[in-house]
Amino acid sequence: MPLGLLRFAMSKKHPEPRMFREPDALKAAYDVVIIGAGGHGLACAYYLARDYGITNVAVLEQGYIGGGNTGRNTTIVRSNYLTPEGVRFYDESVRLYKDLSEDFDLNLFYSERGHFTFAHTDSALSTMRWRAEVNKHMGIESEVVDRDTIQQACPELDLDCGGHLPVMGALYHAPGAVARHDAVAWGYGRGADQRGVEIHQKTRVTDIRVEGGKVVGVETDKGFVRTGKVVSAVAGFTPRITEMVGLRTPITIQPLQACVTEPLKPWLDTILVSATLHVYVSQSSRGELVMGSALDPYELHSTRSTLDFTESLSGHLLDMFPFLSEIKVNRQWAGMADMTPDFAPVMGRTPIDGFYLDSGWGTWGFKATPVCGKTMSYTVANDREHELIEPFGLSRFENYRLVGEKGAASVGH
Amino acid sequence: MKIINCPVNGARPLQEFAYGGPFRDMPDPATASDAEWGDYVFNRDGAPGVKREWWYHLASGVWFVAERDTLRDRFLKTYLYDAGDQAND
Amino acid sequence: MTDVPARLPARSGEWIDRDRVVEFRFEGQVYRGYAGDTVTSALVAAGRRTLGRSFKYHRQRGVLSLANHDVNVMVDDGQRTNLRADVLPISAGLELQAVNTKGGLTGDRHRHINRMAKLLPVGFYYKTFHRPRRLFPFWERRIRALAGLGTIKRDAPRVETPKRYDFCDVLVIGAGPTGLSAALAAANNGAQVVIADENARAGGSLTHQWAGDAEAVEIRERLLSAVDAHENIDLRTGTTAAGYYADNWVALVDDIRLSKMRAGQVIVASGCFEQPAVFHGNDLPGVMLGSGAQRLLHRYAVRPFQRAVILAANSDAYRLALDLVAAGIEVATIADLRTEGETGPLAERVTAEGVVVRRGCGVYEAHADKNGELSGVVVAPVTAEGEFDLGRQESISCDGLLMSVGWTPAANLLYQAGTKMDYADAVQQFVPAELPDNVHAAGRVNGVHDLRQQLADGERAGLAASLALGLYSGEVPEQPRHEGGSPNHPYPIFDHPKGKNFVDFDEDLQLKDLLNACQEGFDNIELMKRYSTVGMGPSQGKHSNMNAVRILARHRGQSIMATGTTTARPYFHPVPLKLLAGRSFNPERRTSLHEWHRAADARFVHVGDWLRPEVYGAADTNRPLNELVLKEVTAVRRAVGLIDVGTLGKLDIRGPDAAEFLERIYTGRFSNVKHGRMTLALRCDESGVVTDDGIAARFAGDHFYVTASTTRSGAVLQDMQHWLMRWGLDATVVNATGHFAAMNLAGPYSRHVLAELTSADISDDSLPFGGVATATVAGVPARLMRVGFVGELGFEIHVPAQFGPAVWERVMAAGKQFDICPFGVEAQRILRLEKGIPIVGQDSDGLTNPFEMDMGWALAMSKPFFIGQRSLQILQRRGAERVLAGFSLPRDGNAAQVRESHLVIRDGEIVGRVTSVAYSPTLDRIIGLAYVAPAQNLPESTVKIRADGGVLRSATVERLPFYDPDDLAQAGVASLQEVS
Repeated sequence: MPLGLLRFAMSKKHPEPRMFREPDALKAAYDVVIIGAGGHGLACAYYLARDYGITNVAVLEQGYIGGGNTGRNTTIVRSNYLTPEGVRFYDESVRLYKDLSEDFDLNLFYSERGHFTFAHTDSALSTMRWRAEVNKHMGIESEVVDRDTIQQACPELDLDCGGHLPVMGALYHAPGAVARHDAVAWGYGRGADQRGVEIHQKTRVTDIRVEGGKVVGVETDKGFVRTGKVVSAVAGFTPRITEMVGLRTPITIQPLQACVTEPLKPWLDTILVSATLHVYVSQSSRGELVMGSALDPYELHSTRSTLDFTESLSGHLLDMFPFLSEIKVNRQWAGMADMTPDFAPVMGRTPIDGFYLDSGWGTWGFKATPVCGKTMSYTVANDREHELIEPFGLSRFENYRLVGEKGAASVGH
Repeated sequence: MKIINCPVNGARPLQEFAYGGPFRDMPDPATASDAEWGDYVFNRDGAPGVKREWWYHLASGVWFVAERDTLRDRFLKTYLYDAGDQAND
Repeated sequence: MTDVPARLPARSGEWIDRDRVVEFRFEGQVYRGYAGDTVTSALVAAGRRTLGRSFKYHRQRGVLSLANHDVNVMVDDGQRTNLRADVLPISAGLELQAVNTKGGLTGDRHRHINRMAKLLPVGFYYKTFHRPRRLFPFWERRIRALAGLGTIKRDAPRVETPKRYDFCDVLVIGAGPTGLSAALAAANNGAQVVIADENARAGGSLTHQWAGDAEAVEIRERLLSAVDAHENIDLRTGTTAAGYYADNWVALVDDIRLSKMRAGQVIVASGCFEQPAVFHGNDLPGVMLGSGAQRLLHRYAVRPFQRAVILAANSDAYRLALDLVAAGIEVATIADLRTEGETGPLAERVTAEGVVVRRGCGVYEAHADKNGELSGVVVAPVTAEGEFDLGRQESISCDGLLMSVGWTPAANLLYQAGTKMDYADAVQQFVPAELPDNVHAAGRVNGVHDLRQQLADGERAGLAASLALGLYSGEVPEQPRHEGGSPNHPYPIFDHPKGKNFVDFDEDLQLKDLLNACQEGFDNIELMKRYSTVGMGPSQGKHSNMNAVRILARHRGQSIMATGTTTARPYFHPVPLKLLAGRSFNPERRTSLHEWHRAADARFVHVGDWLRPEVYGAADTNRPLNELVLKEVTAVRRAVGLIDVGTLGKLDIRGPDAAEFLERIYTGRFSNVKHGRMTLALRCDESGVVTDDGIAARFAGDHFYVTASTTRSGAVLQDMQHWLMRWGLDATVVNATGHFAAMNLAGPYSRHVLAELTSADISDDSLPFGGVATATVAGVPARLMRVGFVGELGFEIHVPAQFGPAVWERVMAAGKQFDICPFGVEAQRILRLEKGIPIVGQDSDGLTNPFEMDMGWALAMSKPFFIGQRSLQILQRRGAERVLAGFSLPRDGNAAQVRESHLVIRDGEIVGRVTSVAYSPTLDRIIGLAYVAPAQNLPESTVKIRADGGVLRSATVERLPFYDPDDLAQAGVASLQEVS
């Protein structure tokens, strides 16, 4: 046992302070208002305070810290994307993630488990190779591996998937990791709070006041606050926020569901993804199998669950691991994914002066948390896009300059 | 699983249907500016509300319009489209 | 079995069959029970108290609820794991082990973790192990090794189970007094009713809590026989309502199947979960819920202890006391947390039995004997604020401590259905405030606790459901009002300097853990759950969530209502993957020629749902595939080959506006296509991205026959139907994909072969390249199309599917003299590549436009409209930024191989990728298609491709097509000698 734990035994009173204060009331004005106290919003606040000394910041959250997609995703972190702009961006995120536990002095259980994306067809194998080639070009550990390599990494897997759709090979990404998702938000929240940022939970933004094309303040259910800069980091709620400023975007909302089994003794060390079978699965440090599938097929602003989801996911999971037949699914839930036509985010400044978007995260938001904080804080502080997010501007659509992630993306979480 | 009331086939489970996206009026390509056209092609009214949408009954090939509350996932009304009624489509 | 001291004499209503003794093993030891026993009841009957170990501290645990919530007593039977012993029936030969022990339940080597509990406060794992970073993997391995409960069985079989689609007018969840009464009320009005209850037998609380009450037993028997006799009621025991989904779609789970129930009305009569009190030692084996003890007594005739103390806060505790006394158990005392205690006849009866009631008293702590099991309690007066007067404490020895302090509604499905719940002070519990349409709640889940009121509330719900169904038009009575004191204590939670007062048994969370979480800022209910993990264990907080809410509310000085609850999500109880999965169903489509291919030893490949021959003679995969493919290619080039193209989408478009319709759907021109001719059909989406291609053949002025690619034909059809309706054009589209068998006869001798099977004029004059005709082929009406996909003289022959095999065989027979060779999709890919023809989806991606594919020629930009045209105008002005080009490489076995998806590199940057590449036997070099910068698309120039191993290879850009640039072969004008 690490000696650090001794202090809990030595002290009569629990020796830990609050991670985040509970501010009494909103101030009349802030330099920056961030909407959404998920990982992204809090990371932006953290880096604004830490790197730019901008601390007169309020993070407004209608629910609670990390209660949206930050707390609903399946916690996978990776950078093996298809486009150079995507790879550069996510690679920076992975790099930041690796240091985060130490930066925060909070153990995020960032655990590199290796990430396999299966190919069941020739064309899928070709797409895997495409990703691997782009990744290698960008210096990312990523390669196409054969069946034997997969079997070695996961001896339990039925590579033939019951004979229906045999695995032909996989894209292997050694740095693929999982982390304690909630703790990422808490770490950023604590760091921001310590530097003076105010986090207001249960505070709903009801309108954004724009005058002469410029943001002047935010209406909330607890009153009006003046500010010249508003960052929207609300994932599935993005269209509701952009509607407040009259901004049109391609973002639509579709639910993404997930589920976990009862805890099992650890046996699955890697992260496995099959786009064809619509399965991704890893085992958490609690021992639960954490599983997800494809997006629900139509627009919906709700986190309801469906039975069809667990039915089809279970079938496909048993194709891969027939011996899990008697293992039980404990809980299912859903998040709301903010989808874009090219499966790349929408980030940066907007035609409304002082209104910044961190959106379009679809199903990839968690893994981008640190780099979004870094790049959005830069963009807000300098009123100029950070170079890593230049390709992700809203104007790319009207300019027909979409990002090519769509090519590889059917289920690649 | 949700039930959808197909105007031709009656109440059927969701798995028999495909979502066809929001009902949108196409601007006149001859007169629309590039920006107007790009807005039509890419942008959507993403906020929740009661929306007109296209739905398709897979087994019978029927397209119809549904008015659905996208916040609560309630189908309020479904009906067949009549091209004659749509002046500017 | 008389040697088993804990088994009581036979009693009416017991669930065991004393004539059938069942022997099983637990932790290596033999036990005997009766058929009908659960593992727990049989073990307790045999005198065992410690039945399992806890998740984190590996503490000894015993019976808690006996209601499918005892997750500290999970067992493994060698095939299955995480089985809940409290509800698992015993069967002969079962060999069980407790989960989550190292070296067995008794000697569990992880039990020392219990003594380190102080080192492991709430969220301890967030606070250490991460510095230095390099050591984290070490700690992580150790932490992971301790995680989890059961162990997977790698050799367990895949179990396929049936599923059922089910329908009923009224689904009643819960077969207790309320549910039975509701079901009868609805059924009497003519509704078809299904009752689902997770217990092995119906009756609910009438089989335990009320089972000692003669009048209640009479009610039970009356209800059960009425239900049994009612033809409208289908009573399903052993069936859990596991989840509620949209539009009254309820997952009913039993041992063997998932039933998906569509119910007109749902009545939730699921009752309550009894809640533990929180005090030091509340988890010791021997401490259990009052209802748990009553289940043991009444269902299994098991006396779990000799001398009991009851911690009470409601009338239920007094009925429990009477039950215990009747079973010969000494009730040492009732410590009633209420200062006023119980009044009325119940209290008098208990006193008359000689039971000492201590009013305003609580259990300060429970003690264990040397075996770690309950041996006694310290009882002391306690104030309403939970302060003990320890000066007046008394030690009482006992081997049973029953907690009877209150209940919380089993409202999980109500929450899932979207019910708004309010906290009702009169009963100190959440009750439904606003129910969704067609969902009803009744009985204790509705805050109605009195047995007679439950019956009335059930009837009310049954009538309300009947009314909603239009089966009843009378009055629906008001919901009964609760009278008297609350059955639920508002705060049965007591601090203790030594802790071990557990709030969550699943997760081993003590009171201080939750308070410490609050101290650290996790002081709203969702954050508290996520930080402390309260309620996240296998029982999903059935015994912990309410107490956690109470603790948080008091800590914050808020009402319960303001504090709120966490979200209840499916499942009510965990559901095995096998039941959710059911039977695997992987539909596969086969063409009518499939059997022929199989007989010819074809190796098949999945193309969407379809199976297509990849290459022939290769089902035995030891044979060199490449040689077989090249043989097929060569046969087509030199003689003649035949390929099954029946998987192509085939759409018949008819009507006066057919041509106009295609003008708008596809990029090319159709109005001017003559009858008997065909043209390319290229489709884009509204953003100008290429989505599909095929050919459109005009058989008449008002009839086109259009093909679409195999995997996209469904989407193409759907889209066509959409636009036909939108535009209101006078045309119809019919999906003829399955109606026709289709084959492509290609090669210099193809006309020779076809000529033997048809009397139609298929000369170049009558049926030139691009021509189409209807003809009789091998006696069958056929559509003929002069195609050139593989770059040779070729005829697609489409015949009604049922004639496919006969025609195919006739073609093969006629081609025998030319050594006709069937060929598969692999050969076809090479053939079309030699001809430089891109495949949409392989040589394009989700964002490719026609200019990039060098297919600007296929766009009739001057016509009034086609889908994607307006976007293509914008893209055309900008010019392509990449373009698909042909390239070649010498064949060099030693050089690094170039494969699909290898990158084209220019000045160290990625400019494109290889989309197709193959060795061309015809040209004896490697040829391929790749995206390059437009400036690089100069024949004879070179581009760099990063090949295997990162080796940069120079490829020569070639003009397309590679093969037969003057199209002589497909035009059929090349002499046979020239081409071969």
